[in-house]
Parts: sequence; structure tokens; C-alpha cells
Amino acid sequence: MNEQTEQLYFTALSDAVLNMEEDTAINIAHKVIAEKIDAYRAIERGLVDGMNRAGKFFEDEEYFIPEILLCSDAMYAGLNILNPHINREHQRSRIKIIIAVVEGDTHDIGKNLVKTLLDAAGFEVIDLGRDVPPSKIVDIAIIEQADAIALSTLMTTTMDGMSEVIQLLQQRGQRESFQVIVGGGPISQGFADRIGADGYAPNAPAAIKLLNKLFGKNTYA
Amino acid sequence: MHDPKPLYIDQLFPVQRLAAYAKGAPVDRLPCVPIVGNTAARILGVKVSALRNNGKILADAHIASYRRFGYDNIRVFTDLYTIAEGMGAKVRVPEDETAFLGEPAIQDVSGIANLKPVDPYSDGVLPHHLEAIERVVQEVGDEVPVTAALTGPFTNASFLIGAVTLSRFVLKDPATVHKLCKLSLESALAYAEAIFAAGGTPSLTDAMSSSTVISPKQFEEFSFPYLKILVDYIHSKSKPVTLHICGKTSPIWDKMADTGADCLSIDNDADLLEAKKKIGHRVRLMGNVHPSAIMLQGSRQDIRREVFKCVLAAHDNPCGFVLASGCSLPTETPLQNIDAMLDAVREIGYPVAVEDLDAQ
Repeated sequence: MNEQTEQLYFTALSDAVLNMEEDTAINIAHKVIAEKIDAYRAIERGLVDGMNRAGKFFEDEEYFIPEILLCSDAMYAGLNILNPHINREHQRSRIKIIIAVVEGDTHDIGKNLVKTLLDAAGFEVIDLGRDVPPSKIVDIAIIEQADAIALSTLMTTTMDGMSEVIQLLQQRGQRESFQVIVGGGPISQGFADRIGADGYAPNAPAAIKLLNKLFGKNTYA
Repeated sequence: MHDPKPLYIDQLFPVQRLAAYAKGAPVDRLPCVPIVGNTAARILGVKVSALRNNGKILADAHIASYRRFGYDNIRVFTDLYTIAEGMGAKVRVPEDETAFLGEPAIQDVSGIANLKPVDPYSDGVLPHHLEAIERVVQEVGDEVPVTAALTGPFTNASFLIGAVTLSRFVLKDPATVHKLCKLSLESALAYAEAIFAAGGTPSLTDAMSSSTVISPKQFEEFSFPYLKILVDYIHSKSKPVTLHICGKTSPIWDKMADTGADCLSIDNDADLLEAKKKIGHRVRLMGNVHPSAIMLQGSRQDIRREVFKCVLAAHDNPCGFVLASGCSLPTETPLQNIDAMLDAVREIGYPVAVEDLDAQ
């Protein structure tokens, strides 16, 4: 198959994500496999490209949370089909990020949004979910040898859990092993500085830019 | 550092101040509302969880907090989930922190058939909140307006089925969203009626309606109609109502004013000056000192500076201005920071001398 024809498939995948068409994403992903097109390129130039376009729409306030959720549904539906067909060489040594909503907070729309955009940006994401105790976050970050920890909270009442994560890392002599970034409604740059975080992002696209900056714009370790 | 600040003392009770201010008559200072929630527990010296299901303690905490600070509105509030809980949502109540949603009332669409609007006199903690309203009104209702937080129908719907599911349904299954909003509206109307019966006034708060979450068009379709019905109902009782929506709201200010709400409480993501220009001739504005960056973490000087900034931006709002925090204060906001907010407003006094503010 020539590049031009391949590109048609990639564009169709990208459009399916942008247009929130989960079934289309699934159909085209199957065709990509059937046509023996490189799955990794289909992800990068199709699904991820679509999610990046959706992220841009979100930044520009053309898309909101409902649209982004459906875009990410379409992206993940496609990924489920394409991922098993990726060549081994592409599966290794990406920047690994632990993401969690701190204990006491069950709001996870923002965190899920960051996770989706991180996936799309090529980071390897370990999602611990919501309402996660600080000790568990630290334990898993160490065991997984992650590169960064991204923490989110929506509620002012749970902000302290973020500083607890950093204190635990210090106590275990592991603070330097991770970049720790924080975000969420009540969080500010001032708060991030005060608890000794490495960065703060006011929204999901900004979180991706922040991590790109911290890791020198390279999602591969 | 020695602080030569003179003592500023209020000359009027809040009800007098607000009535005079509304008529354009002389007042001692601008109305000021640090939106105190569970910080009230700290004034009374009890755990946060003690407020939620005990009308007397909840009332005592808010009365004590009002007396300590002298702000212009008591809002009986512990968390956003009381109505949803009455409809079957599971709320988790840490001993000394704000309660939060554990599980929504239903897991999928099939659960809707089992949902019923609340009976505020028997469901969840609502009877305790009604008791608190009644007690607060009895004790200080002749001095200060007593309101009770009423969660907006769209936000409540998100607690019934989960925010993520509701967000997907906004695009995939609008009919279900409307069903959940209607049920939530019925609950809200029932609770509003009970709030009036207890002597209070409902105050609308609607976090999920934010333009940080849904588009202006989605707001118009899924939130606005229900808010409007609530505002109309409150007006039928000849009471004014404040509408608070968190986060970004500038794209929906016009619509928020179209609900008929008398006052819009805007968060720190919104710009008071811009709000004044766009809708200040239609509604009173309330806001918007940052609840965490400034009120929780700032110094007395930070708070004074931010209060001056807000007052400078909006003191001449055609329909009036209430200096307030952008959203509910974090529980651990230092008490002296709340004092600092009131003191700054007292220091400015009324009428506001712009040149003095500018010089700061």
C-alpha cells in the first residue's frame, strides 16, 4: 500500500476521534490491521492526531468536557484494537507517569482528561484512580520506577494530601527520583511552590505542556 | 510589625445595610460575604462532621460564625450532596473534613425508575438542615438574611448518575439528562418550599453548569430552564436570589442574568470588571477574592490588596456589588484572614473613594 492510501486511513482515524465516532474508529482500526498497515503509525498519525486536534478544540473552548470524553472514548476504542499489533520496539522506555486524585476527593473528570491527553502525547500512564491515599501513590511510584507523579484535586479540603505525597518521598529519600506536578480547581502556582512541587498546571493541555517542558519535550526516556 | 490600623466598627445590622444599599441610601460599608461553610465548625470548636446531621450544632456554628465576623449573609451549608443523598446517593463523611460523594444514586439508566424526588422532612440530613435554618432565623433572623444552599438541578443530576456518565449523556442521551434534571428540579422545589417554611431563602449553587465543564449551548439546554423555574419560584415568594456557578462563567453571564437571579456570585476565574461592563446593569455582582490562593494561604496584606482590587473593579456596578470570596472558603481558612476581609471592607467604607483605592 502506498503512503497516500495509508494516509487516508490515518486521516479517517483522526477524524473519527475528533468527531466522537467510536464505531467508525473501531471499523477503521480493524481495516488498518486487515490491510497490514503499521499499527504504531496508525495510532500516532491517526488516533493521537485526532486527540491532539480535540485537545486544541478544548483549549479554544469549542469543545468542552462532554465532547472530550467522547473523543477519548473513540481514541481508546481504536487503541484497544491497534495496541496488540504494535512492534515491540515502540513499547519500551517511554516516560512513565503515575496519575491520581488524592485521598478524600472523588472528582476525577480533570484527572481523566489529563490522562487521556498524556496517553495521546505518548507518555506511559499508570492511573491509580480517585480517592487514593498518599502512601499508596508513593509506593506504586517507587515500585513502577516512574518518572513523574501527577496529582489532582478539586476540593480545597483535600489539598493537604498533595503535600503529604511530597513529604513521604522526602522521608524515603526518593524526592529526587520524581517530578511531581499538581493541578485542580483550588490549586495555584503559589500552593505548588509552597509544598515543593516541581510544577503546576491550571488545566489539562497545560499539564501536557508542563511535562513536555520538564522532560525536554521528549516523551521517550 | 506594628499595625497602627484603627478599629472599624459596623454601624448597621446586615438587614439594615442591605435594605439601605438597595435603595441607594447611605450605608456604613459595602456588603461583605466571605462564603463561610464548614469553617463554622472551627468557630464552635466542633468536628466538621458534627454539623451535618445535627440541626442545633449546625445552627450554633453559623450563629457563632456570624457573630464573630459580622458578615452580611448566613448560608446554612455543609456540602453540595444533601439532596442527592436524600435521593439515594452515598455520601462519605470524614470526621473532620467536608463530606464528599461516595457513589452516585444509580449506576445506569435502568435505575431512574427507582428515583423519587426528596421529602425534605424525612430524607437524608435535610430535616437537620431545616431545623438549623429555623434556629438561625429565630436567633438572628431579624439582623441578617438567612439563606440555605440549594444545589442546581444539573449539578444534582451529576450526583445521581455520576459526573462522567452525565457528561457523556449530554451528547449521547439528552432525554435521560433531562429526566434526571427534572427529578432534581422536583427535589429542589420541595426543599425550597421547606426552606421558606423554615423562614429562610434558598441560594442557588450549580458547580457543574460552569463553562469549565459544559458549553454555553449545553448550559442553555440542560441547566438554564431548570434554574429559571427555581428563580421564578423564589420570586413568587417575593424574595431575591443569588446564583453561584463555579469556575469560568463569562460565556454564560447573559444567560445567568436571564434566569432572573438578582445577584450573580462569580468565581475567581471570572473578571469582575468585565462582568460589570457586560451584565452589571442587569444584576448585582458578588465576588471574587480567591478562596484558596488568597483567603486560605494569603497574608492579611494579600487579602487587603485583593479586596481593594475587587472593590475598585466593581463598587460602582449599576445593580450593586457584594464583596465576597469567589467560592466557598476552605474549611481551614485562618479566622484572622476572614477578619481581614471584613476589616478591609470596613476600612474602605462607603461611598467608596476611588482615589484612595487607586493609591494602594
